Amino acid sequence: MKKIFLIIAVLFTATLQAQVTKVSLQASGLTCSMCSNSINKSLQSIDYVEKVMSDIKSSTFNITFKPGANVNFDQLKKKVEDAGFFVANLKAIVQFDNLTVEKDNHYNVAGITYHFLNASGQKLNGEQTIQVVDKGYVSAKVFKKNQLYTQMECYKTGVAGTCCKKTGLADGSRIFHVTI
Amino acid sequence: MKQWLLICLLLFAYSSKAQELYVYTEPASNMAAKSIGFRLNNNFMYQKNSNGYRYMLAPEIMAGVSKKIMLHIEGFLSNMNGDFKLNGGTVYAKYRFFSIDDVHSHFRMAAYMRGSISNLPIQQPAIDLLLMNSGVETGIVATQLIKRTAISTSVSHLYAADNANSHKFSYGNKYRNALSYTISAGRLMLPKEYTSYNQTNVNLMVEALGQTNLYSGKSFIDIAPSVQFIIKSQMRVDIGYRFAMINNLQRNSENGALLRLEYNIFNAF
Repeated sequence: MKKIFLIIAVLFTATLQAQVTKVSLQASGLTCSMCSNSINKSLQSIDYVEKVMSDIKSSTFNITFKPGANVNFDQLKKKVEDAGFFVANLKAIVQFDNLTVEKDNHYNVAGITYHFLNASGQKLNGEQTIQVVDKGYVSAKVFKKNQLYTQMECYKTGVAGTCCKKTGLADGSRIFHVTI
Repeated sequence: MKQWLLICLLLFAYSSKAQELYVYTEPASNMAAKSIGFRLNNNFMYQKNSNGYRYMLAPEIMAGVSKKIMLHIEGFLSNMNGDFKLNGGTVYAKYRFFSIDDVHSHFRMAAYMRGSISNLPIQQPAIDLLLMNSGVETGIVATQLIKRTAISTSVSHLYAADNANSHKFSYGNKYRNALSYTISAGRLMLPKEYTSYNQTNVNLMVEALGQTNLYSGKSFIDIAPSVQFIIKSQMRVDIGYRFAMINNLQRNSENGALLRLEYNIFNAF
């Protein structure tokens, strides 16, 4: 019984420590404050979003989350698109616990699978800013440019495929491609 | 005179910080999914025949059905035929089918359709699906935004049906079809710097609105300048005036003022 409590406690702290704490999202294609407000309201409708601070001039939304929130980048992106706009740039502050990242490998950090495109064996510890560079999270130009980082098919699809067999991911599971 | 106006329109369109929330036309962009907008459109139309103004009140509800589809439903009340009463209504749907997006630019295209009912007697060969005619409009609109400049243009086909209350389209079947075309540009005047959603935005717009009857080849092209206030990033007040620049397609009223009040609710359903 004690063992179970210990496992639960360990799991719980692991989740708390290794989560997305903040997201800074820049939307593209808007010119007016009413458009900006529609994104603002749309983001606020997510239940685990605590606060959205918007910089209307640069169309940037700084989002903080409720404690223990399971942040879903795809949901944030969908909310921007529901408002009729697109994500130009999404940066997240993520808590890491001594994670050594290698090229073309996948890492599960608090329930989110990451593929660090520009990894070269560096150790990530504490709060780090990552940028999601999947399709729809950057401009088409940047997406094309980042193809230089990897040959793996999962970069183009955003989900695990035959290229990801060695990392033990189920076919079709979501992988977020990021740069540090 | 015409050339001068065209040059002004183009200069205006290429000046900085244009807006897409046009007063007399719809852009290719839609309102946010799950939002609802309410409008009260007040039209004051100058009548050549009676040398006076007629008033039309058009309450309108808009809804963002999804990120790509939006709907407008509008009723028309006017004193066009004597007493102030309900003269008809219209349903408008727009589908955004194309969107290329980059950090500082976008190009969007949408297809739209309108169906209108009017119970007024047919009074003019020009087709007006916003009060005077029952009929159908199908069209496409393209909006280009580069940096903070936006230009929008639309082309549509208008079909005039017979009006309700047995009011036949009296000009003959050949005259039932027309081409409608618009070009719009807008510019943000205030605020100079965005700091909060509570700042009132002031936009100036200018639009060209044209129609050519496909049988007679007769046309009108109106110029419609307008000023728009966006209050608390949620309410809109539009004040516009349209007047004819080219005018050989006969209409009862060419010139007129518009006062529109709009209120938007985000995440409404």
